[in-house]
Amino acid sequence: MNAAAQREEAVFYAALKVTDPGQRAAFLEQACAGDTGLRANVEELLASQPDVEDFFAEGGAALKMIVGDASVPAGLAAPTRLGEEEIGSRIGRYKLLQKIGEGGCGVVYMAEQQEPVRRRVALKIIKLGMDTKNVIARFEAERQALALMDHLNIARVLDGGATHTGRPYFVMELVRGIRITDYCDQNHLDTRQRLDLFIQICHAIQHAHQKGIIHRDIKPSNILITLHDGVPVPKVIDFGIAKATEGPLTDKTLFTAYEQFIGTPAYMSPEQAELSGLDIDTRSDIYSLGVLLYELLTGRTPFDAKQLVQSGLDEMRRTIREREPQRPSTMVTTLQHAELVITAQRRHAEPPKLILTLKGDLDWIVMKALEKDRVRRYQTANGLAMDVQRYLNNEPVVARPPSRFYRFRKLVRRNRVVFAAAGAVAVALLAGLCICSWLLVRERQAYRRAVQAEQEQARLRLAAESARRQAETRERIAHAIMLVGQERVAEADKLIAEVSPTQPSFECAAVLRSVGSWHALRDEWEPAAQRLGALLDANVNDAWDDSSLDFLRAGVALVESGRTQDYQWFREKALSRFRDTSNPVSAERIVKIALLFPADEKGTAPLDTLAKTANKPFSGLIDNVEDESFRAAWRAVSMALLDYRRANYAGSLDWCRQCLAFSDYNAPRIATARILRAMACFQLHQTAEANAELAQGRNLVEGKFKAGLDVGAAAQGFWFDWVFARILLREATGLIGESPAPLPVGSPAASHPGGE
Amino acid sequence: MSDITQVLQAVGRGEGRASEDLLPLVYEELRRLAAARMAHEMAGQTLQATALVHEAWLRLVGDGDRTWQNRGHFFAAASEAMRRILIENARRKSRLKHGGGQVRLDISDLELADTTPDDKVLLINEALDRLEAKDPEAARIVVLKFFGGLTNQEVAQSLAIGERTVDRQWAYAKAWLFRSIRSELQKP
Repeated sequence: MNAAAQREEAVFYAALKVTDPGQRAAFLEQACAGDTGLRANVEELLASQPDVEDFFAEGGAALKMIVGDASVPAGLAAPTRLGEEEIGSRIGRYKLLQKIGEGGCGVVYMAEQQEPVRRRVALKIIKLGMDTKNVIARFEAERQALALMDHLNIARVLDGGATHTGRPYFVMELVRGIRITDYCDQNHLDTRQRLDLFIQICHAIQHAHQKGIIHRDIKPSNILITLHDGVPVPKVIDFGIAKATEGPLTDKTLFTAYEQFIGTPAYMSPEQAELSGLDIDTRSDIYSLGVLLYELLTGRTPFDAKQLVQSGLDEMRRTIREREPQRPSTMVTTLQHAELVITAQRRHAEPPKLILTLKGDLDWIVMKALEKDRVRRYQTANGLAMDVQRYLNNEPVVARPPSRFYRFRKLVRRNRVVFAAAGAVAVALLAGLCICSWLLVRERQAYRRAVQAEQEQARLRLAAESARRQAETRERIAHAIMLVGQERVAEADKLIAEVSPTQPSFECAAVLRSVGSWHALRDEWEPAAQRLGALLDANVNDAWDDSSLDFLRAGVALVESGRTQDYQWFREKALSRFRDTSNPVSAERIVKIALLFPADEKGTAPLDTLAKTANKPFSGLIDNVEDESFRAAWRAVSMALLDYRRANYAGSLDWCRQCLAFSDYNAPRIATARILRAMACFQLHQTAEANAELAQGRNLVEGKFKAGLDVGAAAQGFWFDWVFARILLREATGLIGESPAPLPVGSPAASHPGGE
Repeated sequence: MSDITQVLQAVGRGEGRASEDLLPLVYEELRRLAAARMAHEMAGQTLQATALVHEAWLRLVGDGDRTWQNRGHFFAAASEAMRRILIENARRKSRLKHGGGQVRLDISDLELADTTPDDKVLLINEALDRLEAKDPEAARIVVLKFFGGLTNQEVAQSLAIGERTVDRQWAYAKAWLFRSIRSELQKP
């Protein structure tokens, strides 16, 4: 705004506040000070003031009336609707081709992937209310497991990421199909055909469960039917997505959760309805499969989705958790006549026949899958499939408590010919009875086999659970990494402490390293030793060079925590793991940490090999001179320690001198070298030198710990380099005694780089 | 933590683009809120822009320990979003009233006295673009006050300026807009 306009605004506003016309004129006279243009403008503005107020009031009133008009056409010049992206735009490697669906939690597009292979995929963008970072971390954690799934009836999840607006998305194999319930109804599949499809779905879910993946959102819209050469093939989609998009439920996220909840409350297991989110296992999927079966058979879900939603959140939970649903056959009989006829027609049956089909075994199978207590459900998807198959084969099902009459009926049905013969030839009655009892025996065996199979399934479930626990561990680690990134180390520590047994992974190692060091810096040596000890199992896939540093961390933490008996174990572990290393840097570090305490001959045989490796040239490993001298200086410390432990004190002194001759200044290294030299001198009865060196070493070490230990860096020395020096200082003090008259901190000897 | 919160935190860290990112999020939420509220209320009842904006804020961010800095950014984005929604509606209704078919309201055909309330909204919106070119801060205040329905106090906190400044700029901006509209309509 220019100066003139500013002045106009100021004068106008001031004049506006003067209501008396006479006073206002006087004010304008004075304020405009002869500027007639300004005065005319302001007076014009003031004059139209009543019109202005009316104009804006009317406009404002119009706004109130139209806000609520919900039939707003989307688009126009407006920004893209939330979660919707423009067709033709790119998300990562994918180009959006067309929108193919919209669900409770996202919008699905057909998209084209251009590299590494050109193919069409389904891309699902998750709607508002999701914490993108967590969703993606959880997805990444599941990713490995998802990749393991390879099943004809499972649509693979290929990729995941975030759009430029920070919305999570998932990429899946594109399935061109319609939802299973629609397919069955449109094609009038009879009950048997429906059950065949259902069995295939169970097998797909079982496959996933064995890989440790729980679907968590099984419902008709996630099971599509595609035709392969005219044969319907069910495809389960969205595996892993429910898990990734499901966060810990708090009051804040409850609303979002509720929204998602509304999508599928009819398919939600009682334990999911708890909304605790904690206690969900493969058997939740079994429940949802039970609901699916219910709907395939009767056209209805056990509880009406609309009624559930209308009853409110608490009532909905109570219903799902407590109310016994009607048996499928009962449900069908309660339908209005017209609906019953349609339902039956869609199943290629007359109403009475449909009811008869459902009554008995199918009722029992469905009800067993829908048990509120998951312990009483089928323990695996396979178990459920097998029972359905038994029904189709006219074999006794596990779901039903056995009774003599029940088994006999089964027997008759399956051996109609035999019984017909027995009935027709009355003479053969006796023979028939014999056959009958023989068959009954067989029948009993069949039932026993079925029960055994069911128990076998329970064992399989345990295996699947363990796979799931591994997936959960991965998730925890991903979460912990995020926490460490946000410097919420205490929380990360709590998470990682519950993870056991440790699986080797780069991520897990990173977290353990962080939290272990964090404890160390807080002087909490017991937890530090625990985390860093676990690190030695977690880092086995890391590069040699990195993992040898971890041994330095863990070694000093172990000693500081007072678990000296574990040190022996630690030393063996270090030596056996690095026995064959070809990396001189790793070898030098392992020599050093393995000799932090004196060792007997037996335990230290690999040290010769390692020492030889440590003395190899660094060629190829290090490409600049500074680094090389830095490494060589550390190597000299290790060799000095090795010679000292082998009572070659002259050799040790020689190495110490070499170490201190290097020009770069690394305080803990110099301190270590001085302490070693003090001990070697003492052994050679050079008491004066020993005392002097020890004093210098002590000054450095005590000065550092007084100033406060920090994580440090390679060049200045890490925290564990200092702790290493402190441990040696204790040994030296024990050997030589408190050195007389320590030099003051900051004396030339203590601060001069390079010593000598 | 919602996306909104993340974007707001990005704003707080001074990351660019965050304000733009906020707009579509708020936009959709406001539309949804308006639609949902309308579905539950009797026909003829009015909805206040302010109420919607405030409700969107509470819903998306919660009433916790958010700083005014974030809230300010939110209100700015929400008001701009409201503006777009309202203008869309007004255009549509105005088109219907003027016989439909026209893609855009033709200002030169109107006399100031003949304008419907919806036309007024559109005229203000167009004049606002002219004000924006001349005095962006005044234009922001108009968006917050007129389309966002905020009080002077809220605008002041939103833009980190004094309440009196808000009052002064709002009064002058209204007068300026009106003058601008009138002169546009009087053009031959």
